[in-house]
Amino acid sequence: MRIDTLNVVAVLCVAFVTIGGQSFERKVAQLLHGEADDLKCFVESKKDLTCFWEEELERKNSHDRYTFMYSYEKEKSRTCDISSLSLLASNRTVFLCKLPQVLFFTVLDVQVLHDGRMLYNRSLNVENVLFLDPPRNLTVVSSGKEGPLNVSWLPPHLKYMDDSMIYEVRYAVEGSHMGKVEEIKASTKLILRGLQPGTRYKVWVRVKPDGVAYDGYWSAWTEPVFGATPPSDMDPLTVLLVLFIALILFILSVTVILSRHKFLLKKVWPDIPTPEHKFPGLLTVCEGDFKEWMRQNNGNMWGRSVHVYTEELPSPLEVLSEISLASHATSQREERITLEEEEEKMESEGTDSGITGSWREPSHAHWFMEQLRALQENPQSLSQSMLLESPDTYVTLNQNSQRARAEDDSQVDDICDESLPLQTLFSNTGTSSLSASRSDLGSLQQSSGSGRLSSQSSFEYSNHTWSPNRPGYTYMAVADSGVSMDYSPMSLSRIEDLGKRVIYTNEYKNEIFGHKCPISGQC
Amino acid sequence: MFHSSGLFVLLLMVLEWTHPGLSSPLRPICDLRVLDHFIKEAWDAEAAMRACNDDCTIATNLTVPLTRVDFEVWEAMNILEQAQEVQSGLNVLNEAIGSLKAYNQTDVIHSHIDSSVSNIASIRQVLRSLSIPEYVSSSSEDEGPEMQKVSSISELFRVHINFLRGKVRLLFANAPVCHQGVS
Repeated sequence: MRIDTLNVVAVLCVAFVTIGGQSFERKVAQLLHGEADDLKCFVESKKDLTCFWEEELERKNSHDRYTFMYSYEKEKSRTCDISSLSLLASNRTVFLCKLPQVLFFTVLDVQVLHDGRMLYNRSLNVENVLFLDPPRNLTVVSSGKEGPLNVSWLPPHLKYMDDSMIYEVRYAVEGSHMGKVEEIKASTKLILRGLQPGTRYKVWVRVKPDGVAYDGYWSAWTEPVFGATPPSDMDPLTVLLVLFIALILFILSVTVILSRHKFLLKKVWPDIPTPEHKFPGLLTVCEGDFKEWMRQNNGNMWGRSVHVYTEELPSPLEVLSEISLASHATSQREERITLEEEEEKMESEGTDSGITGSWREPSHAHWFMEQLRALQENPQSLSQSMLLESPDTYVTLNQNSQRARAEDDSQVDDICDESLPLQTLFSNTGTSSLSASRSDLGSLQQSSGSGRLSSQSSFEYSNHTWSPNRPGYTYMAVADSGVSMDYSPMSLSRIEDLGKRVIYTNEYKNEIFGHKCPISGQC
Repeated sequence: MFHSSGLFVLLLMVLEWTHPGLSSPLRPICDLRVLDHFIKEAWDAEAAMRACNDDCTIATNLTVPLTRVDFEVWEAMNILEQAQEVQSGLNVLNEAIGSLKAYNQTDVIHSHIDSSVSNIASIRQVLRSLSIPEYVSSSSEDEGPEMQKVSSISELFRVHINFLRGKVRLLFANAPVCHQGVS
């Protein structure tokens, strides 16, 4: 019996020492990695102060060659017995000294000498190097239906120091590496809130002196303890409310879809665009033959919406003078009058139908056709009457100036093509101004995207300044989108086909030499 | 005879009323956070004095208490011995810090000196509330068994902080009044 009791006591002692030894070794290993000082010291309880240093790899020495000296304030220096410890986990060896006398709240000087030479030197206060054991009896309990976890633990065994400890609680979802940390002072309980329902959590705790009276290092983490949050309990009222709101949203969405199903269908499944609405009868009657369709619809050209031809931007036309040709004088006067009438009409009415209707001059169609035929036969004659007298590019928009205009930029080419029937003096103060005026009209053009020209888009006074070199003509810059309408049949099919359709019959013919009356009528 | 007894009663009543030489019992202050507050202020003073070396030399050496605590020895002492050591140390410290006022110091140092003196007075009050007996030194001891000498202001304030968070705090934590009813 007695032998059994003795055996049990011996086993317990060995176990205690082993556990204590493991704990000590863990502390040494932790400080070895964490602390910057070469000579590291820590106190576990009130009576165990240990100082240690790592064996230098270059010199595999035995501890006989080291000397450890220590002295408290105003006391003489003493030596300490050195021992060695092999850390199995990291395969390193440390030399250590356990001081026989431990005095708190006073300065301690320690020195390590190697073969008589000073190796390490350090001054410290023992109460500032506390390395406590981890907290004990960590428990995690789930409380209530909402899911907070109650965490509680016991402080390490250390008298007088219970009130001067701070704790750190770490918790993470089981299996996850991302954890949260909460610090807690002077209390051994914590309630974890904001957790996911129905989840298992891992919780760790560690302890450190708070730094007021005692200070030291963070202890090792406790072994993790698991706690599970209860699954979320759906309140029947909450469930009903959620279902009700979902039903309302469903009804609303169905209503919206039904009311706008055509719009939505168009967006989701758009129709293949056909030109049928712009070219009635093109596909049905003419079976796609555009020439045939044009032939059939040549009388209705002006009814087309200018929106189809939005690519060609109208250009400002500066009407400087009129060519007083005998054959066309009357017609031009008529045109002028017509144009003025239309100006007034458009300013008053603000519709484009007046323009389109008034541009139609059947009496001049025949003359135009002849002009264009002549042009086809003799395109070189264009260059002869090219008028580029001034540094500003004054271009005569007549049948002879087509070639000259072709030398300008491509945008001007379009205009030349378009303005072939027109014989007006076209002032070009530079492509920048041209494009500026074009852009003005372009923006207006877009505004007429509904297919109706506004009066403003027909006659636009361009904003750019005219060159001072200009001869003393009074003039009006005309930006005539009605003209662009006329141009469009020209651009669609080339000059070769000019004879086949009605050309813009109101022509403005200007020469820079002649004294001409501009359209505005001021001579 | 009636007159003498009446006078005696009157005298007793008057004495009872005036409470000569006796103060009302204080409520024990067992919360260590009170002392921790003073310790934190002492830390601030020590940090401020640590920075000044040349300006903080004093002509004469000052007597201050020893701050070292050997727990084996301390726990072997009874409460009265501990109280005596703490109270005498506080007295000596108070005198030493108070004597600095005579020197020409900066305003910062003066403010720390004043707060330290007032804190020591407050600590004495707290000890009184804990029924810790006051120790009155029989004779002026320059070098008692637990005394030492310092020669600089920074060293003085280092002794001050170490004494407060050492012996004084241990005495606080061990006060029997605060452990009544606790096994």
